[in-house]
Amino acid sequence: MFNSIEHTIESFAKERYISSKEIATTVYLALMMEKPVLVEGPAGVGKTELGKCVASALNLDLIRMQCYEGLDEAKALYEWEYAKQLLYTQILKDKLSAMLQDEKTLTEAVNRLSSEEDVFFSEKFLIPRPILKAITGDNQSVLLIDEIDKSDSEFEAFLLEVLSDFQVSIPEIGTIVAKKKPFVILTSNSAREMSDALKRRCLHLYIDYPSRDLEERIVSLKVPECGNTLINDVVRAVHKIRELQLKKEPSISETLDWARALVLLGYEHLDHDIAVTTLNCILKYEKDIELVKKHAREIFVH
Amino acid sequence: MPVKINTPPIQSRFYDFIDVLRDAHIRISTDEILSLFNSLPHTVFDDKNIFKQTLKTTLIKDYTDIPLFDECFSRFFEKGDSLEAFLDEADSAAQQELSDAQKRDLESRMDSFLDELTRNDIFEKTAEELLSLFLDELMESDSGGGGMGMMLFQSRSSVQQSYSSPARREGEEGPGEGERDTFFDQLLLGMMKNRLDKKKIGSSLQEREDYLFNKYIYQLTPAEIREMRELIKRFGQKLKNRISLRKKKMKHGGIDIKRTFRSSLQYDGIPFKIYNRNMKIDRPQLVVLCDISGSVSQYTRFMLLLTHTLQGLFSKVRTFAFISTLVEITPLFREMDPERAMNSIYADTDFTYGWGSNYGRCFDQFIGNYSDALNKKTSVLVLGDARNNNQDPGLDSFIKIKERSRNIFWLNPDRKHLWDWSDSIASVYQKHCVEMKEVNNFLDLSEFIDKLFLDK
Repeated sequence: MFNSIEHTIESFAKERYISSKEIATTVYLALMMEKPVLVEGPAGVGKTELGKCVASALNLDLIRMQCYEGLDEAKALYEWEYAKQLLYTQILKDKLSAMLQDEKTLTEAVNRLSSEEDVFFSEKFLIPRPILKAITGDNQSVLLIDEIDKSDSEFEAFLLEVLSDFQVSIPEIGTIVAKKKPFVILTSNSAREMSDALKRRCLHLYIDYPSRDLEERIVSLKVPECGNTLINDVVRAVHKIRELQLKKEPSISETLDWARALVLLGYEHLDHDIAVTTLNCILKYEKDIELVKKHAREIFVH
Repeated sequence: MPVKINTPPIQSRFYDFIDVLRDAHIRISTDEILSLFNSLPHTVFDDKNIFKQTLKTTLIKDYTDIPLFDECFSRFFEKGDSLEAFLDEADSAAQQELSDAQKRDLESRMDSFLDELTRNDIFEKTAEELLSLFLDELMESDSGGGGMGMMLFQSRSSVQQSYSSPARREGEEGPGEGERDTFFDQLLLGMMKNRLDKKKIGSSLQEREDYLFNKYIYQLTPAEIREMRELIKRFGQKLKNRISLRKKKMKHGGIDIKRTFRSSLQYDGIPFKIYNRNMKIDRPQLVVLCDISGSVSQYTRFMLLLTHTLQGLFSKVRTFAFISTLVEITPLFREMDPERAMNSIYADTDFTYGWGSNYGRCFDQFIGNYSDALNKKTSVLVLGDARNNNQDPGLDSFIKIKERSRNIFWLNPDRKHLWDWSDSIASVYQKHCVEMKEVNNFLDLSEFIDKLFLDK
């Protein structure tokens, strides 16, 4: 567990994740208060990465659940293994009839049978899905629910019980309470709004594009072969490009790609011509590239 | 820095800030407040970023509210006094010679006094003026709050003096007794000022938004338009979220026989799992015809900006612009953001060449070239002032458009009493529309879109 907010930042740095004070504050508070975190922000700013990083920094298991449209409780919480139940009844047929042999009336037979039905609805026939796994594990884990905005709004309702009480209710068995409360991180690209009920149960964290200083540190960490001049040039250019009205703004991962590409090409600084020919590393739309080219004189100073 | 956060004065400062946020129409429920107070023992106060993030992460749940929060925070905590002052101030209350009970009494009176004031009073009067009004009222109402009567009385006269002639007061202020009065005056004045500031921060932000949304689109200045661009994005996002939530609710259809049967095969034909068919969500298709001639261009800009923020809600949006000829501009919007698309339309000289709007010709052209855009699911939206410059209204084509689409709406930026005035032929078209609506500010506009999805 982290001791303080500073310690959180340091531990993240050891995992090669440069975090701002804002990010560290929220993660630290959430850990202390045992609350889930809902992380929002543009694509590619390291939301998922944050989840992985918390897990490795605290040396916990990471259980990741990718959301998609149509994801239901059978895929997320638990599922009864029907085929296995069926198979077992087939195999146990003889045993069952032997057991019911002594019963005289139909009612007695049914009563006898129903006293045994717990066998078929026990944890033996339950397939745990990510959420149940996170709760029943013997060690604390980090549960990363990725891109929750892609799931249906009904799905959020299943999550509510887990998020607030860290338990899952299974009608046939009862309530399963977490032995060790998992640390839950939900990420969202804001394709749709989460319900108020879900938001209320979480701390909210909005990760925006990093400041220039922070981004320079990220680049130098992830692309160590990149020289200081180049880092400086690249990050400044990217920040200027983000100010334009683009269809898709370059995010951190694009900045890193660009820096890597320039290193591979053997450049030590970024000038206008080099930049214009390698723009396709950071921009994904033809129109965006054209727009940046039009403003190239202001963006690339060298 | 160890901080005793459980002292009432500090707590009340937090509540003050929460009030400010609520005044700015940020929704904060008890849950958020609880989690704020739960988080305080774990956080540190001497780093402003951390302190701010603590408040933000616990109180704000909607990222579209973050700019508002930042604004409120900087005005509330950085207005002259620093973070330490915020904490110190809480302590200083203890030094006053008033007993706690007296102070609380005074505070609650002041609060209720301010609550009764109108908005204008709060924004136009100074703290001194209001304080004197408050003291007057206090004198009239009763003996003036147990034991404080005399102090309040003195205070009243000195405050009144000071604001009627501040210059004289400075000169006459003597030592001794005056000083004690001043101290009490200052306390009262400080209390009043704090409350006023608090009331102003949140509501002034909110009012600015209301003002912009309600202002005639024609009258917006370029600076205001720039300011609104952000607002529209934020507002559009909220509208979009709300509508998509509403749509999701009616998703379940009947049993999907095929799928249920197929999956039952692995269980020997026993249908263990039952699959529901998803009901097809009928997202409306939209055809927008906009007049972009000089008289309405400003208005159209906004409409296009909004429809394209909301594009995801419609299964198909096709946009046509016309002055004297009609062109389809859908592809432009697909390639670039609305702002740039709009500008590039105006930059195209082939298109802007002409003699003012000709609705008739453009309806004819639409039926001639683009009638494939219409089917029984399409809603047609015409934006324009129906000022046809005395040309053929092309009513036949307009009726054809109406017959081939689900419904047709006309948004007219002219005031209602100006319809049919001069060269406007609004009522000719109105007869054939589901509705012709006067829309000239942003709120009307978004209300209309919201309704488009309710009428199902």
